[in-house]
Amino acid sequence: MSSNILFTSNERGKAIFLSERDLLIKSYCSLSKTCSRREACHCDFTEAAKNYAISNGSSSAGSVIIALKGELAAGIGEYKIGKNQLLKAMGLGSCVGVILFDHSTGICGIAHVLLPGISAKGETKYAETAIEKMYEAMLKQGARKRKISAKFAGGAQVFKHMNLDILKIGDRNAASVEETLTKWKIPILAKDVGGDSGRNVIFNPVDGSMIVKYTKGETLWL
Amino acid sequence: MIDVANLGEMELDVLKELGNIGSGHAATALSKMINKDVYISVPEVKVGEIKNIFNEFIPDIVAGVIIALQDLEENRSGYLYIMFPEESSRKIASDLFGMEDLDEEMYESTIMEVGNILSSSFCDASADFMDIILLPSPPSFALDVPTAVVDSVVSQMAKNSNHIILFETALSSASDIEIYFALLPETGLFEEIMKMTELL
Repeated sequence: MSSNILFTSNERGKAIFLSERDLLIKSYCSLSKTCSRREACHCDFTEAAKNYAISNGSSSAGSVIIALKGELAAGIGEYKIGKNQLLKAMGLGSCVGVILFDHSTGICGIAHVLLPGISAKGETKYAETAIEKMYEAMLKQGARKRKISAKFAGGAQVFKHMNLDILKIGDRNAASVEETLTKWKIPILAKDVGGDSGRNVIFNPVDGSMIVKYTKGETLWL
Repeated sequence: MIDVANLGEMELDVLKELGNIGSGHAATALSKMINKDVYISVPEVKVGEIKNIFNEFIPDIVAGVIIALQDLEENRSGYLYIMFPEESSRKIASDLFGMEDLDEEMYESTIMEVGNILSSSFCDASADFMDIILLPSPPSFALDVPTAVVDSVVSQMAKNSNHIILFETALSSASDIEIYFALLPETGLFEEIMKMTELL
């Protein structure tokens, strides 16, 4: 299956398009808030992306188009490291998606953190362990310590009517992530935590933006 | 402590039967409530790694209630997650009230109550037929994609194991109502099941 991931930007905004055989299957657009067409996405952005896909690489006037090399999704308690790939952590409720990014080499990673604190057994479902391991793995692949920065999102409280205290783990996850990043002196460039809605966190390595797609519709580019 | 990754056929079969009887009774309760025939799908038990749980659930937003299950000594036995796809949940709520437009609060409260009734009959049946005591907690309500809802429950289980067992079944009725049942057992429940199988 040939799948295309394109990043396009112009002076008005940015968007990521996922297409398969010339068919647009998904988009994350920074204009979605003001876009009147919503689902039936069709504007100069999509046109530009479509032209790029059809003509196999010649860019059109006015918009910058860059193709990404596939995507990597981190499952619950996992981390993934890539370069020029779209990174994803989907269906985050109380979980937190942590992104580390070295803008000088383009090496980036995403962790899908499930629990706060540290693991004695080195399990990456715990915030501190996951960040530590991902950080070290990135350095091993050639990322530069001083250039790495972080963005994270998640830690929601999806329960509206809550009768179980153990379900209140979102805040603790987010706090644990922030603590760890501070401890490792990794600058936090953006975060979006808390709230009552699930999130999908996507990282676009081309411009270093974290795309937070709320399960209930809204999309943020941070 | 039992690791769910190493459970035998026997334990899984007992779990399946427990889920079967429980959801069968929940189906009867639902049928009485909405006064229609309710069908129950062939249940499935899956043992999987936690990191892959995203693939087990539907990606759409559903109304759902989480109920924690305990035994008499307040050991956690597991969780029930009852999912109502948006349309079904609206339909159930408006059918029960006999009116079309319900405000959000009424709607959420109705779904919680339905969850309450279904989980209670689920637990009753397990006690009656298998002598496994399950006490349901009051339901917690969430309207979101299932993975985002279960991850706080999963995080509790992840402290003990990297694997998760999922018992799934679906109830449906002629009036397009669909309800999905997921039982996520904790090791406490398997200790009960072990005790029971030793007596056989």
